[in-house]
Amino acid sequence: MNPAPGVYQGAADVIAALMLLLEFGMLRQALVRDQVRLYATQSALISVLAIVIAADRNLPDLYALAALSAALKVFAVPLVLRRLLGPPAVEETRGVAGSYTLSPASAVLASIVLAAFGFFCFGSLGIHSAQAPALALSIAGAMVFVAFVLMIVRRDVASQAIGFFSLENAISLASLVLAAELPLLLETAFLFDLLLAVVVFGMLIRAHHARAESLSTADLTRLRG
Amino acid sequence: MSAAVPIPVIQLLQVLTVALGAPGLMGVIAKVEARLQGRRGPRVLQPYYDLAKLCRKEALAPAGASWVFLAAPPAAVAAYLTIPLLIPVLTTYGLPLGYMGDILGGGFLLSLAGFLVATAALETGSPYAQLGSSRAKTFSAITEPVVLFVVFTVALLTGTDLPYALAATVRSSAGEVVRPAHLLASAALFMVILHETGRIPVETHTGTNEFGMIEEARSFEHSGPYLALLKWGSMLKQFILFTILADVFLASNQRLGAVLLAIVALLAKAVAVGCVVAVIDDSFAKLRLFKITEYASAAFLLAVLGVFTLYLGGG
Repeated sequence: MNPAPGVYQGAADVIAALMLLLEFGMLRQALVRDQVRLYATQSALISVLAIVIAADRNLPDLYALAALSAALKVFAVPLVLRRLLGPPAVEETRGVAGSYTLSPASAVLASIVLAAFGFFCFGSLGIHSAQAPALALSIAGAMVFVAFVLMIVRRDVASQAIGFFSLENAISLASLVLAAELPLLLETAFLFDLLLAVVVFGMLIRAHHARAESLSTADLTRLRG
Repeated sequence: MSAAVPIPVIQLLQVLTVALGAPGLMGVIAKVEARLQGRRGPRVLQPYYDLAKLCRKEALAPAGASWVFLAAPPAAVAAYLTIPLLIPVLTTYGLPLGYMGDILGGGFLLSLAGFLVATAALETGSPYAQLGSSRAKTFSAITEPVVLFVVFTVALLTGTDLPYALAATVRSSAGEVVRPAHLLASAALFMVILHETGRIPVETHTGTNEFGMIEEARSFEHSGPYLALLKWGSMLKQFILFTILADVFLASNQRLGAVLLAIVALLAKAVAVGCVVAVIDDSFAKLRLFKITEYASAAFLLAVLGVFTLYLGGG
């Protein structure tokens, strides 16, 4: 068996594993509001991970990135999403709650298989370095696949947006563990990408809701309206 | 380490600690639960009094029940009392009888005891007892894959499936403690323990509501000393599962010089796990019976991810 990693690397791996579990939680959660809460928790974890890596490798830039990422993903994005969704009672009537195409159990089973595929793909890349924890990278790969399942099996714009945002979290995780010494400017550019995605999804949600009186995408069956 | 105490005495003490400590643990959990609910609660020693009272009562068997009905409770207790010989209860080093069986051996003994009690319940012809044993067997089939994956994780971590080896591996470095596979497997095992000891997701542990009953319903037709043995058996099972969690998976501090001190430490650890269990029991709403598969699937997810991180992720 592989020897145990050091404490810092182990902590990074555990945070990554928790993020993957939250991704499964988002997939399983029926209400968008709870999904937003899970997304905020996942984003908080990635900030913690940035702090752990900053402390481990002595990279002061990452502290700034952690603060910026927390401000944006833990507070701003969930706040915007909640405002877009309106009061909780409205959610039921907007075609959001429980908009599964697969049953939750089948979706979870499918995503376990895809997560295994993600683990396998990244594991077989054979990246072994003291600087890049292979496990956290594999977990990021698994998260990408689970986020895809989340976007595919849910038929409402809000859940799909959250799936997309959590996909961004998975990629941030990969970039953090693989290239922690990336210049702060580039990392900030990634965050700016997310900001752009939030604006686009916000407009999409508003436009779709204005036209269809619902957030469900079940009626979008034709290419031209 | 504990040169003053001969090895056979330590082995005997392992069994005696579990046998005598189990009702006390149940009493402490009942007390903590009651306090959390704003009640005064029974005395901590109440389970001992209950067992003593039942032992003095007359034992009756339903008409038509065979010898299996009466033989099952003592046989189940015997199976439970064999397990403390296999797992690290008081020492960190393996005792001679500890190598009689591995984790699977302990699991088989737990299953054997459950099977015997279920068979005795079927003997009675009582619908509630049969319902209980039918449910217990169905749901244990659902949690079985979780336990198997936990064992796989242990095997991948240590290369063996001996409980002493896992405890030694976990204690060997801090890196082993924070290893995701270890934490995921421990969390999955904890969820199984919550289910197996009838805390969540559907049962009320001491409840008399037949719809939510699984384990408790099985002893409906037993009485007197036989009922006492069944109750003691379920207390033993709880203590053993807590010991496995605390000593094998969490491998909490066992570097104690004296075995007698280890007894106190074990009781304290079991009470600590019991308090956590009581808080969880009180703070989570019970699920409907058929939702139990979702609970089991969450535990399964943890256990499977534990194996993935080791086998595919290289962690």
